[in-house]
Amino acid sequence: MSLSRIFSEHPERRYIMFGGKGGLGKTTFSAATAYWLAKQGHRVLVFSVDPQASLSDIFQRDIFGKGAVEIMPNLFAQEIDADQRIREYQGEIRKKILDRYGMDEVPEEIENYIQAAAAEPAMEESAIFDAVVDIVVSADYDYYVYDLVPLGHALYYLSMASVYDQWIDKITALRTEMEEYQQVAAVMQRKKESEEDEILSELQYIKERINRSSGILTDRVKTAFFFVVIPEDMAILDTKKAAGLFARYDVPLSGYIVNRVIPESLAQQNIPDYLRHRLEMQSRHLETIHRELGSEVLALVPEFERDITGLPMIEKMAETMFGG
Amino acid sequence: MPEEEKKKRASFLDTAKSVLYGMAGHDMSRYALKTRGSMEHLFILITMGDLLGIPILPPYYSLRLLPYVVPQISTWKRRMLRERDLTDALA
Repeated sequence: MSLSRIFSEHPERRYIMFGGKGGLGKTTFSAATAYWLAKQGHRVLVFSVDPQASLSDIFQRDIFGKGAVEIMPNLFAQEIDADQRIREYQGEIRKKILDRYGMDEVPEEIENYIQAAAAEPAMEESAIFDAVVDIVVSADYDYYVYDLVPLGHALYYLSMASVYDQWIDKITALRTEMEEYQQVAAVMQRKKESEEDEILSELQYIKERINRSSGILTDRVKTAFFFVVIPEDMAILDTKKAAGLFARYDVPLSGYIVNRVIPESLAQQNIPDYLRHRLEMQSRHLETIHRELGSEVLALVPEFERDITGLPMIEKMAETMFGG
Repeated sequence: MPEEEKKKRASFLDTAKSVLYGMAGHDMSRYALKTRGSMEHLFILITMGDLLGIPILPPYYSLRLLPYVVPQISTWKRRMLRERDLTDALA
């Protein structure tokens, strides 16, 4: 099975994700895949959910926090500026408080809370999480290519969704019970109607957003998740562990791409011992990869002699991955 | 004077209802509202725990709920941080 065949056999898979340890080539593959799909005539958005995004570097354009930027016809790239989104969000909350209670300024205690909340470590992830929902809900593109965060974060991302979901179920139940007591009191006091609980509808909204975004990550029909691995001991072990964890969260795994393979033909040439040893080590690890992952390995991508930045190099990478 | 009679009867009924409510219903509705008040404070605790230094919920979504509970925050804090004594059991 090859990468291009996966795409032609499963045209319904519209959310494309690359996951793996940091620095193995997720951004490179995301960019190259988006490029290839755009060249096939699809409208594609590649976007980064990593706070330390590097799409700007690979496309050699400053796209950070600028929304979807057109890189070439059909190809758009976006880096989410989480800080900016948090600032806007804080502004919205302040405005809502001022409008609701007709205040001139937010009470100090409340303002302190708004400030402190933004400094929490989970805030950035949640903000990006939420931004992704906006991007995907708009449905402006044929394909969405996610440049994912390194493994640990991606798992945190997924587990956060299920924790949030359970948490919201619990407090929704509490809120509903509160509503019942309110109604009992209203009946006793012969009040015709009790006020509608706005918090309850707000909770429903939050729940829907969370389900939507984690639903995409685990959608067996529309999502294709590829793991990036390199022929090195640690990377293989970590990837296997991560694949197990992802499977537990129901992420539909489409296959593996092996990156940074030193061309074996070099062994025929007069090369230094250093490189010869690396080649020997690599063939051992490649054997392990083929034995354990077998037909799930979709492509072996060689180590390039140059950095992959700029469209001509991305094109070269796309040719290597998808074959011309 | 059937009109006046009607009015008198209505006002008598209203008074009777109020007396009955005072005897039977008032305590129950007071209890229902008190329970609801306690739950409201529990709700704020699990959503806005950070205000007391108890982070319980990821803050992104708790901020969304903040505008609705602004008036309750100060009574809630007072209740959570106040010292308890024996008379609380009787209240």
